Amino acid sequence: MGGGTKLPAMSESEIKKTFPGLEVGNYTITSPSTPEYNCIAWAAGDIGEWWWPDANNQYYWPDEVPREESLGAFKDLFEKRGYQKCETGDYEEGYQKIAIYVDAKNKPTHVSKQLSSEIWTSKLGQIEDIEHPFQGLDSPTYGSVAVIMKRFKQC
Amino acid sequence: MNDPVLADEIINIAEDDSTIGPDSKLVKRYVEDVATHFFKPLTRQWANPPIRFFNLKSQWEQETAMLSSVTEIAMHSSYQQIIGMGPSVIPLILNEMTIKPGHWFWALKSITGEDPVQSKYRGRIKEMTKAWIQWGEEQNYLP
Repeated sequence: MGGGTKLPAMSESEIKKTFPGLEVGNYTITSPSTPEYNCIAWAAGDIGEWWWPDANNQYYWPDEVPREESLGAFKDLFEKRGYQKCETGDYEEGYQKIAIYVDAKNKPTHVSKQLSSEIWTSKLGQIEDIEHPFQGLDSPTYGSVAVIMKRFKQC
Repeated sequence: MNDPVLADEIINIAEDDSTIGPDSKLVKRYVEDVATHFFKPLTRQWANPPIRFFNLKSQWEQETAMLSSVTEIAMHSSYQQIIGMGPSVIPLILNEMTIKPGHWFWALKSITGEDPVQSKYRGRIKEMTKAWIQWGEEQNYLP
């Protein structure tokens, strides 16, 4: 994305309130607000669907992945897209990394995707995409990073 | 002006914003207070489903905007209270969807027992919204 779209002030204040690790200068809003896709879709390269393994079977979730809200299912989702678990969020040339966040009950809440050595990108729920530091979204709302995965960058 | 408390209040309000006169600010504040006291009581909300719906919707939207988990979004207490209001909120939800897409699918399915969204459109918010609006029109919930 990129480009720094002009956005309503409410989003910025809400973002800062929700994520204590974000402050002026260390994050950028990079898209308009939209409910059409979420962080999982964004990390998987899809901006047309909302991905979630809901029990009601109303949202998109790949058939080949167990439809359950567990860290195992989320890891499986990205393993099936060529990712493997790795140890750190440090930038590695030639690799694409993602980070899965979980809450205190170990339930997945969010996925971020690495762009460069210090910049990660996230779709925040129903609002905007932002660029932010690694672990910049640690918060009571998203919990913290539980798993980092990487794959060879695809052209 | 003989009331010193009222005079202080006018002065304080006037200091907040120099673009509106103090009398106008005082009137505006009183109107806001009256509106708040009128709409807040639960008894009045219960008697007026649209007021209750919009209060709950506003709180739900504000507190779930950052979430990706549809389960968390739908399990929010305000959303569950909206579901608990039953069929009376169907037209309110559908009308809301014609204005702004949102995650109303869980609530509609829970209340109506229906799901008009084809499986190929799962997760496609525009298509899901369109399917429910069309369903609402067919069921005469929408004009």
